[in-house]
Amino acid sequence: MLTVNNIGKVYNGKIAVDINELHIATGEIIGLVGNNGAGKTTFFRLILDLIRADRGEILSKDKSITTSEDWKQYTAAYLDEGFLISYLTPEEYFYFVGKLHNRSKADIDEYLQGFVSFFDGAILKSGKYIRDLSKGNQFKVGIAACILQNPELLMLDEPFANLDPSSQSRLIQMLKELHDKKRMTILISSHDLNHITDVCQRILLMEKGRIIKDLQTSEDTLNELESYFKV
Amino acid sequence: MISLLLSHQLKAFWRSRNAGKSIAIQIFIGLLGLYLLAVALFVGFGLKSFIIAVAPGQNVVTTFCGFILYYFSFDILMRFLLQELPTVAVQPYLAQNIKRSQLVNFLNWRSLFTFLNLLPLILFIPFSITGIGKQYGAGVAIGFVVSIISFCVVNHFLILFIKRKTVISSWWMVGFFIVVILFMFGDYFHIFSLQNVSAYLFTGLIKNAWLCLVAIVFSVASFINNSRFLFNNLYVEEMSKSSKEKTASEYVWLQRFGHIGDMIAVDIKLILRNKRPRSLLMLSFIFLAYGFIFYKQTYFETNMLGMVLMGGIFITGMFMASFGQFLFAWQSVHFDGIMASNANIKTFIKSKFYLLTAFSTIAMLLSLPYGFINWRIIPIQIAAYFFNVGIHSLLCIYFATRSYKGLDLGKAATFNYQGTGSAQWLYSLAIFLVGGLLYLPLGFFVSPWAGIAAVGILGLISFLLQDWWLAILTKEFMLRKYKILEGFREK
Repeated sequence: MLTVNNIGKVYNGKIAVDINELHIATGEIIGLVGNNGAGKTTFFRLILDLIRADRGEILSKDKSITTSEDWKQYTAAYLDEGFLISYLTPEEYFYFVGKLHNRSKADIDEYLQGFVSFFDGAILKSGKYIRDLSKGNQFKVGIAACILQNPELLMLDEPFANLDPSSQSRLIQMLKELHDKKRMTILISSHDLNHITDVCQRILLMEKGRIIKDLQTSEDTLNELESYFKV
Repeated sequence: MISLLLSHQLKAFWRSRNAGKSIAIQIFIGLLGLYLLAVALFVGFGLKSFIIAVAPGQNVVTTFCGFILYYFSFDILMRFLLQELPTVAVQPYLAQNIKRSQLVNFLNWRSLFTFLNLLPLILFIPFSITGIGKQYGAGVAIGFVVSIISFCVVNHFLILFIKRKTVISSWWMVGFFIVVILFMFGDYFHIFSLQNVSAYLFTGLIKNAWLCLVAIVFSVASFINNSRFLFNNLYVEEMSKSSKEKTASEYVWLQRFGHIGDMIAVDIKLILRNKRPRSLLMLSFIFLAYGFIFYKQTYFETNMLGMVLMGGIFITGMFMASFGQFLFAWQSVHFDGIMASNANIKTFIKSKFYLLTAFSTIAMLLSLPYGFINWRIIPIQIAAYFFNVGIHSLLCIYFATRSYKGLDLGKAATFNYQGTGSAQWLYSLAIFLVGGLLYLPLGFFVSPWAGIAAVGILGLISFLLQDWWLAILTKEFMLRKYKILEGFREK
């Protein structure tokens, strides 16, 4: 699905991302961990062609993401509130995103039925614009908008951070389902080691822009990660 | 305590993110402010000679007295449009150990720092002292100064009160404008005369200077009224937004345009639901009235049609320019999302082009009635319209691809230079240069009508070549996409 070739990005003399080689196969579910400033979000932005790499290239389905726009049709991402259109109601935003993928309103309405328990009554018909929702609920809108695009590649930046515990476990369930049933390739970053080892089959540990560990999740992974992060 | 809070405001002013960024803009605004101040001072001190020049043979003092209320009624309207509610300033203090009454006082004090309060003082006080004081003595002069300051305070707090009320219910706004319009009609059709009322009141003040106490009472009442209202409504939630239910709305007629229509619908919502673009839109309607200034009969008599064309470009293009100067920057907060979404860049740019075209079309249609002044305005305006949709719009998009400053949608529009950079200045310059270059050769050497035809026809041809242009603009956008994104992310 994704191939990263020798990609590098430097901000003010500090290395933000420096990845020699990385392959992500279709259907993999991958967790990205690392302390703040390790380059997780920058890496996401590079994959989404939102910042220009200093060197190297990223291929999505063997096509360079900078020269072709094809990846947009099968990639959905939510990194932060900057992905939401703050002055729309959640419904309007879902319809807008849906329409960009040529899905009808009725289709979206039906799809949103599946999110009723995840939304917990706080999002649909809330009578609020997205900017007036709480941060956690904004995150839910962003995640739902990604999933309704029915993407082949889903990218979420710290999806657990702003969610309440029940929503966290619902999200985990959803991600596992998407992966099992649709063979969706999923890339998430998180600080929550328990969740990430629970969801992901493969874990990339980033430090100072480099991927210093590439682990297939096993019994020991959680311990290994915990010992790395121990101060 | 209040002085401490006010000092925070001073810091907020100097340390605001766009304060230090562009020195050129700071200097420009500073010079503009100084210039306005100088003009006001000049008018203030020269008021006597102005009155003699404008109303020769009239009693200077009576004319002055008759003018004061006119000014203050105009002042109310101006304040309604320009004066800001300093509510956000109080947010960080609400949960601190500060008494509510202190916060209300702070808000009241904070609100006083606006040039709208300085202007009437500069205009009226010099004459009150040099003109009236000389003739009637210091007592009367003090009476005048006190009254004028009081009127200023009355207007100030009255408008704060009305504006806060309009935040809660927009009926207050409707009511306010109905009252203003009734006043204007009443005065215009001589049902009553504001001038006479004003002259009566202020000449009365000359006889009995102590009457200024009445003005003080009014100002205190207005102050207390506003404070009481604030005291009872000091909840961030109620101040910052109305509690009205927000519902999803659809623009069905836009849907047949596919993705372009969907994007335009989002842009329309952007304008209607955010403070800064909304107030800009309101101002744009005022720009439509500029025709009364630009379309002078003398231009037609002396065949200076180039001036009329310029006015036409301004009137049919102002809508477009005021939105277009921040074409992408309006969406700076979620530009990441737009670029990562399944929105084709060319479609995105095309949607902007259509939106700008629609703006100009609306302005053109709304300004057609100027034809009643002189039928020649209509063909000139149509030529100006073609220029705007065919050339201005493209320049607008081009300069948007060179504009890297984001902005905050929630801030007020007046005197807000956030997001303004060199691109905006170059943009307005370019419109005039290109317009002039197209008009002048034929307009100057052949005839004004030939120049106007050239502008219109070239505009139309360029409009018909839109696909070719948009492909170029898309390329231009792609060249600087990362720089735009980076600039917008930096807040």
